[in-house]
Amino acid sequence: MLRIRFHGRGGHGVKTASRIVGTAAFLSGFYAQDSPIYGAERRGAAVAAYTRIDTKPICERGAVAEPDLILVVDETLLADPAAGVRVGCEFASALLVNSGKEGTALATELRLPCPILTLDLTAVVLAVVGRGSAQSAVLGAAACALAGLGPLERVLEAVQRELVELGLEADEQARNLEAARRVYADLSAVPARPRLPASGQVELHRPTLAKGAASRPIILAVGNAAARHTGRWRVFRPVIDQEACTRCGVCFALCPDGAITLDERAYPVIDYENCKGCMMCYQECPVHCISERQEVQAW
Amino acid sequence: MKTKREFIHNLKELPRDELLAPGSPLCAGCGGLLALRLLLKALDGNVAVVNAAGCMTLLAVYPYTPLRTSWLYTTMGSAPAGAQGIRDALDVLIAKGRLPREEDLRVVVLAGDGATLDIGLSSLSGAIHRGLDFYYLCYDNEAFGNTGFQMSAASPYGSRTATSPATPLQAAGTLQQKKDLFEIWRSHHPPYAATLSTADPVDLVDKVRRATRLRGPKLFTALAVCPPGWGSAPSRGFEIAKLALDTGVWPLKEAIDGKVRHTYIPQRRRPLEEYLRTQRRFAHLFSPQRQEDVLHRMQQAVDAYWDEVQRHEMPPR
Amino acid sequence: MVGEQGGTRRMLTGNAAAAWGARLARVEYIPAFPITPQTEIIESLAAWCAGGELAARFVTLDSEHSMITAAGAAAATGCRVFTATSSQGLLYGLEALWTVAGWRVPLVMVNVSRGLAAPITLEPDHNDILAARDSGCIQLHAETCQEVLDSVLLAYRVAEDPRVRLPVIVNMDGFYLSFTREPVEVPTPQQAADFLPEAQGEPEFRASRPLAQGVAVLQGALYSHFRYQMHLAQEAALAVHEEAAADFEQICGRRYGAVEAYRLEDAELVLVMAGSFATKARAAIDVLRSEGKRVGLLRLRMIRPWPAAAVAAALGHRRGVAVIDQNLSPGLGGILFQEVAATLARSARRPGVLRSFVGGLGGKDISLGEFRHVVDVLAAASDSEDLHGSELLFTEADWQQVQSLVQLAQFPETQAVPSDDGRSEVRR
Ligand code: SF4
Ligand code: SF4
Ligand code: SF4
Repeated sequence: MLRIRFHGRGGHGVKTASRIVGTAAFLSGFYAQDSPIYGAERRGAAVAAYTRIDTKPICERGAVAEPDLILVVDETLLADPAAGVRVGCEFASALLVNSGKEGTALATELRLPCPILTLDLTAVVLAVVGRGSAQSAVLGAAACALAGLGPLERVLEAVQRELVELGLEADEQARNLEAARRVYADLSAVPARPRLPASGQVELHRPTLAKGAASRPIILAVGNAAARHTGRWRVFRPVIDQEACTRCGVCFALCPDGAITLDERAYPVIDYENCKGCMMCYQECPVHCISERQEVQAW
Repeated sequence: MKTKREFIHNLKELPRDELLAPGSPLCAGCGGLLALRLLLKALDGNVAVVNAAGCMTLLAVYPYTPLRTSWLYTTMGSAPAGAQGIRDALDVLIAKGRLPREEDLRVVVLAGDGATLDIGLSSLSGAIHRGLDFYYLCYDNEAFGNTGFQMSAASPYGSRTATSPATPLQAAGTLQQKKDLFEIWRSHHPPYAATLSTADPVDLVDKVRRATRLRGPKLFTALAVCPPGWGSAPSRGFEIAKLALDTGVWPLKEAIDGKVRHTYIPQRRRPLEEYLRTQRRFAHLFSPQRQEDVLHRMQQAVDAYWDEVQRHEMPPR
Repeated sequence: MVGEQGGTRRMLTGNAAAAWGARLARVEYIPAFPITPQTEIIESLAAWCAGGELAARFVTLDSEHSMITAAGAAAATGCRVFTATSSQGLLYGLEALWTVAGWRVPLVMVNVSRGLAAPITLEPDHNDILAARDSGCIQLHAETCQEVLDSVLLAYRVAEDPRVRLPVIVNMDGFYLSFTREPVEVPTPQQAADFLPEAQGEPEFRASRPLAQGVAVLQGALYSHFRYQMHLAQEAALAVHEEAAADFEQICGRRYGAVEAYRLEDAELVLVMAGSFATKARAAIDVLRSEGKRVGLLRLRMIRPWPAAAVAAALGHRRGVAVIDQNLSPGLGGILFQEVAATLARSARRPGVLRSFVGGLGGKDISLGEFRHVVDVLAAASDSEDLHGSELLFTEADWQQVQSLVQLAQFPETQAVPSDDGRSEVRR
C-alpha cells in the first residue's frame, strides 16, 4: 500500500489534491481511498488530507500515521508542531516541500529522517494560474508523479474531474491543467523505501478517577487561547507606520480577534503571534498608514 | 443621520480592556466574533456567556479559551434556558448569603441566527416571557455557518446557500423571506431590543450600555459578516457591514419598552445592488443574466420598510 | 456534488453514497436540518432537487424534532421519505423518533455517528445511534461507503414491507466514512428499479377515506398489544431483510447478512465489532494471523432487530470472544457486550471466555497494538476469572497527551506544548 499525506492550510486545496491522486489511482485500476482531516476547515488553519492506494481493498481508515510520501504546501508548517508534518517521517520515501529553496539546503536546515525534495509550486501557480489560486492541481500532479501514477493524460483527467466538481470555469481549468502538466514533467517517481515492520506494541493505561477539575472538561486558565498562535494562519502581515498614524482607534475597534491593543500613548500595537491577517485594519485605516507584507509564499 | 450617543461618542472612548483574548479558532475576519468582542467591552466584565451550539462553540475548545469570562456550552436549542438556570441560581445563592453580591454576574446568551430563529426560538420566547434578566446576542450571519452555510430562517430572499442553490428551477436561490427577529422580540414586550452593526462600534457600545440600566431581557442582534459563507474577502468585512447600513437593508434601531427609535437613518440610501455585489452569495442575481425581478423585489422591500419608518417616526419636514 | 447518472464504479464519500441511495430509491420527500458531519448528504439532495435530477420535495425544517415528525407524517400520508441526521440532532429528534416508529410508518433515515456532548466533539462513536436502540426503528450499521448506499436501498424494502412497516436507520461513522472517498459501485437506475419498485403505497390520508393514526391508548392491555406488535414486526424484519438481501445479490451481486464474518471458520478467538472500525480489525487480524494466532471478526451489521441466532451460532463454540464497543454506558460499560453476553448466556454452547472492551470513543484510533492487547488478554484469560466491567482501550501515550492538555487548561502559566495535530475544530 502507498500512503500519501498532504499538509497545507485551509484554502490551499489539500483536500482536492488528495482527491486528484485518489481519482488518478482509481482511473488506473487501483483501490484508492482519500479523506481530508476535517470537512470544512477555516481558511489559514493547518489542515491535512490523505490518499491511500493499493492493488487490493484497503483495510486502513482515518489519519495516515506512517506515510510513504509527504507533501507540504507551506514551508512554515514544518515549524508548527501542531500541524504534525513530522509525524511518521521516518517511514517516508520523500517529503516534498513547496519552496524556492534548494532541497539539500532545506534538508540540512530541517534534519528530518527522510529524503527532502523541493519544488516551487507557488511560482508555477503564479506564472500559469494567477495570484491567490489554490494549489490543488499542482499538488495533486506532484503527488501523482512521485507515486509513479501515470501516464500524464490520466493524471490530467483526474485533475480535470476534480476541478469540474469544484465548479471551476473552463479557462481556470485550462490554466490549472497547464500548471499540473509542468509540475508533473518536473518530477519523477521516487523509489519506495523498504518498509519498517509495524511494531504494534503499545502499553495500555488504566485510568483512575481524577481529582477535582481534571475529571471534568473545565478550563480554569481562561484567556489562554493566545497560546494557539493563530498568527501562523496569516498570508499577509499588516504593518503600521507609527509616524503617519493619527491614533484614531479605527483599527483597534474593528479587529475581530482583539489582536490590536493600544499602548499608553494610544498608538495601536499588533500582536503578530495571533493576528490572523484578515487585513480589515489595512483596508480601513483612514490615513492608509497600514501596509501589507506577504508572509508566506504559498498562495 | 445619527442619533445622539449617550455613553460613548467616538472610538477613542472604547473601553481598552479585552474580555476576548486573541487566539480563537474562528475564521479570520469573523463579524460575529467582532460583535461579541465589542459587546463584552461594553459590559465591562463579570459575565457568564451561555453558548448555543454553533460557530461560537469553537471559542472554547479544550484546553483553550480566548474568553476571560465564564462560559457554559449548551445545546443548540436551549441556551436561553441555560441562562435561566444560571440567573436563578445566582439569585438564590445571593439571597441565601452563599454568594456575596459583588460576585454576581451578568448572563449573556450567545447564539447564531439558526439557534435563535429555528431550533431555539421557543426557548428564547420562554425566557423573554418569563422576564429573565439577561442579555442575548444573536450573531446573524444569515445561515447555518458552522455546518457550511445552509439556509436558515434568517437567510434573505435572493441569497444562495448550500441548501438553497440557485438553479433554473429556483433562480432566486433562497425563496423564503428572512424572519424579522426584532419584531418577534418586540411582540414579547421586552424592556430592550436592538439591532447592532460592527460597522458602528460606537452605536453598539452605546446601546449595550443603555440596556444595562434596565432589568429583564435585553436583546441584541448583530449583522455578522461571514467571509466564507458570504463569499467575500475577510478584509472587506467593515465595508460590507457599512454598506448594509447605507443601503438600508440592515436598519440600526432600538426599542425601549416597545417604542422604536432608529439610531441611524441613511439620508440618501445607496442602491441595494452595491451591497449585493460585494458577496458571492448574491452573484447569481447578476450573472449569467441579471435577475431584474428578484433584484426589484429586494430593493422594494427595503424601500417599503423605510417609507414606513418615514411615516411613523420622522418628524414632518 | 456527486456525479450524474449512476450505474458505474466511482469514488464516493459515505455521505455521497447515502445521497445516491436516496436518489436511486426515487424518494419523494426530504425534510432536512443541517448538522456536521451529515450535511453533505442534504446538500447533495438539495442540489438535485433544485436542479431537477431528483423529483422530490426538499424542505429545511426548524429542528430535528420537526424534521423527524415531518418525515413520519409524510410517510404516514403515503410518500417515500428520506432524511438524515447525526449525533446531537438524533438526540434532539429522539422523542419524535419513538413517535413515528409507534405510528408504524416506513421511512429511511441515515445517521452519521458522532460522539455526544458534553464535551462536544465531531468524531465518531456509537452512543448516538445506540440511544435510539429501543425506539422501535430498525438499525443497519455500515462498514464501507458501498454498504451505505446498498443499505439505503435495502432499508426501503424492509421498511415498506407490509410485515414490518417501521422506520429504518442506516448508520455510518462520521469522518471515517462520511468524508472518506472510496470506490463505490453505483447501481444503475434499472437495477435500482428492479430491486425496489416505485413508491406505490396506498395514500393513507385522503378525502374519500378519513382515518385516525397514532391514536392514544390509555389502557395497559392495549398498550402492551401495540408495543409488542412493534417487537414482532422487528422480528419479522430479520426474514424480510434476508429476502431483500437475496434479491439484491441477484440484481447487484453483493450480499449482506445480519452479521458478517471475517476469517472466522477456524478462529479460536473472535472480536465482535460494529461500524467502520471493523475495517481496522480486519487489518489487525491479518497481521495476527500471519503470526499464527487464530483470530477472526464478527461484525454486527443489524443491531435491531437483534440477530440473536446468528450471534449465538457464530460465537458459541469459540475459545474466547471479545466485544469491542465503540460506545460507553457510564456505570455499566460497553452496550453491545451486554447484548452479546445475554444472547450467549441463553445458548446451548458458550465461549470459554467473554470479555468487554471499549475503544474508539470520540474517534480515538484503535491501533494494531490495542487490537493485539485485546487478543493477548483473550488468549491468556481463563474461565475461572470473575471479571466484570469493560476495559478502556487507551494507551500510555494517550494518557501523556491528556495530562499535558489538562495542565494547559488548569494552569495559566503552562507553556503551549505540541498538542493535537491541528484538529481543534468543533462543529455542531
Ligand atoms: S489583520 Fe485582521 S487580525 Fe490582524 S491585526 Fe489587522 S484586523 Fe486584526
Ligand atoms: S486606523 Fe490607522 S490611523 Fe487609526 S489608529 Fe489605526 S493605524 Fe493609526
Ligand atoms: S463561518 Fe462565518 S460566522 Fe462562522 S466563524 Fe467563520 S466567519 Fe464566523
